[in-house]
Amino acid sequence: MDCERPAEDHGTRQNGGAGEGGEAAGAESEGDRERSREPRVNISLVGGTPLLWRAGDIRRVREEDGVVGALVGSLARQPRQNVRLGRPLEILQEEASLLLQRGRAAVQHTHNQEDEESHVKAVEAYQSRLEHSYEEQCVLALEDKKAVLQRVMNAKQNDHTCDEGTEQAMRERLSSLQKGFTLPRSAMAVQLCTARAGFGHCPEEAAFLAADWPMPRDERSETRFRVYRDLRGRGFYLTAAGKFGGDYLVYPGDPLRFHAHFIALCLSMDEQLPLCDVLAVARLGSNVKKTVLLCSPRDSGVEGEVVYSSLQWSGMV
Amino acid sequence: FYCSRKDHLWGNVQVFYQDLPLSIQEGYERFLSPETVTLHQYQVFGHLKRLGYVVNRFDPSTVPSLYERQLNLPLSRDRQNKQLKRKRSHSPGSRYPHFKHKDPTSSTAHTHEQDEPMDSGSHVDRAPERNWWTAASSQSRSMTGLPAALPWDFRLISFPDLGSSRAARTCLAAPDPELLPGALQVGECKMASWLTKLNLKEEKLSRRERERQRERDRYKRSVNDDREVRRCTNWAEYLELMKKRRRQRCKERPAHLWEKDVTPLSQPGLCTSHRELLEEVSIIQSSHLLEEASKLPQLDQWRIIFNVYQPDSVADFKKSHPGNPYTRMCVCSFDGPVPDLRVMKQLSFQSADIPVTFAVVDHGDISFYCFKEFKLPSDFY
Repeated sequence: MDCERPAEDHGTRQNGGAGEGGEAAGAESEGDRERSREPRVNISLVGGTPLLWRAGDIRRVREEDGVVGALVGSLARQPRQNVRLGRPLEILQEEASLLLQRGRAAVQHTHNQEDEESHVKAVEAYQSRLEHSYEEQCVLALEDKKAVLQRVMNAKQNDHTCDEGTEQAMRERLSSLQKGFTLPRSAMAVQLCTARAGFGHCPEEAAFLAADWPMPRDERSETRFRVYRDLRGRGFYLTAAGKFGGDYLVYPGDPLRFHAHFIALCLSMDEQLPLCDVLAVARLGSNVKKTVLLCSPRDSGVEGEVVYSSLQWSGMV
Repeated sequence: FYCSRKDHLWGNVQVFYQDLPLSIQEGYERFLSPETVTLHQYQVFGHLKRLGYVVNRFDPSTVPSLYERQLNLPLSRDRQNKQLKRKRSHSPGSRYPHFKHKDPTSSTAHTHEQDEPMDSGSHVDRAPERNWWTAASSQSRSMTGLPAALPWDFRLISFPDLGSSRAARTCLAAPDPELLPGALQVGECKMASWLTKLNLKEEKLSRRERERQRERDRYKRSVNDDREVRRCTNWAEYLELMKKRRRQRCKERPAHLWEKDVTPLSQPGLCTSHRELLEEVSIIQSSHLLEEASKLPQLDQWRIIFNVYQPDSVADFKKSHPGNPYTRMCVCSFDGPVPDLRVMKQLSFQSADIPVTFAVVDHGDISFYCFKEFKLPSDFY
């Protein structure tokens, strides 16, 4: 079993975004400044886990930032299955902090800091929206019923079995429907929002309300973050790899189009790894046909590079 | 709360807070917290519900104790009500079913005051007013922290000394009339007449035995002659004293090393079966998972969260009479610690007969693990 170093650079660039893959993380370039003026993606924190709720946000971070994440909610139309899940999208801690660092996202404040007045206004707005929706639905329901009646009338006319009396009755019914139809309130369709409406739209307010990022700053998460940033900078897509006994699964492009090539394990430079663990992870890698990458950031400052070693199972030649 | 969350998600229920409907995002943010249900636990809940299982919250107080399971007591949801409705039995302090069967003859095991060194006065011991069971049960009632404390206080139970020379003067007190059935009256018991029936004859030793006795007196010393040994009040203290002496004797040698001669554990031809042989040479005793599990203290980080019942078509589940769950769920994540033996013992004990499954959540992926107890085979049949 040899160790090769360094890993090959696959160097595929993703589409969209202003050449993000080539930027160094800290330097602010033209693209960055432009994008920071765009409305930022909202990250909601539930118990320390970052979640994305808006469909538009999810799409943007995938196309522009290469953040894949995992959907963890029930799918509204097909709730009773686990194959396809719906929003929210759970993203990695490292993904969230990179988005925040680059100014692409802001953490949404959970507690309503509204005062009494704005709350009353919000309630009024909601009530008026409800009324408006109700009136629209009344109109649509009436049209629907008339169409059904018309169809029945036409069918009877074509049959030529009915006489003048039934036709008259039909027309009377139509006119009475026109006058006296009401849609009962209980039959109204109500929209159940997935994402929270409200403050998300104004970036200034969002910035004002943004909570501090509560990411734990211990050595392990620091290591992971630096490895994530480096691999992301090289254009790879990364997802969680708990199932494979590693830290990240590394894809050369969007996970929908490729299989993972690497299982990345993040270690600090001076961390000692027992040989049994190395053997175990190498065996695992060879079983699932992925290369195991041991990644360690060089501890020369924040911007230091990351060193990669890959494990390859080979016999004596 | 759970059902409403799922229905909310499935569009069946609209939840209002301060006159505004809650979006699902707000529901997540408001309802999920480390005190109520964490996001991981909710993910496991959702996963199981979507598959069709019936999932409830686990309540430790509804698990029947080992004794109740042995008796096959019928399970009911509210044990409190059940205890109130039960007929008042006559024996005092009987909160537990096994007190109902009290044999009146065993009531002679009353407390006597500790045998103080008495002078040559010939007064008779009198039974104290306080009875050991009422004292113990009142004590256990005051100890609210202990779950199902046994009302036997062994410090108060002492057996009367009927073999020493003072025995003729002892007098066993009358049993508490509450313990006796009906109108039975039992007075005090004077021991003198009973003792005459005991064999108090001198032992006649054979010649060899007498010789052995002489040798013993001459060369061997009784362990009780040692003052320090006499100061030990129980077996544990005696062992401690021996350990201490051994340590003092040879300071470098660890206490657990074998000091006697090294002999084989077994000889060929001594055992007839495989199992016997394995038992002879075994140094580590095998134990089972629940051994001494009841003595372990409560856990902080690990707890059973859910009861999972199979979907309605398989088992008949009714809210009033759920029956035994299929498994109990404990939620953890790959970032946290792996459950060790102690955690597994405690959770299995808490869960009674039902197996415990660990649901490990990792960024939306859930894997289920369970541990099975396995006894190594010791013989072939």
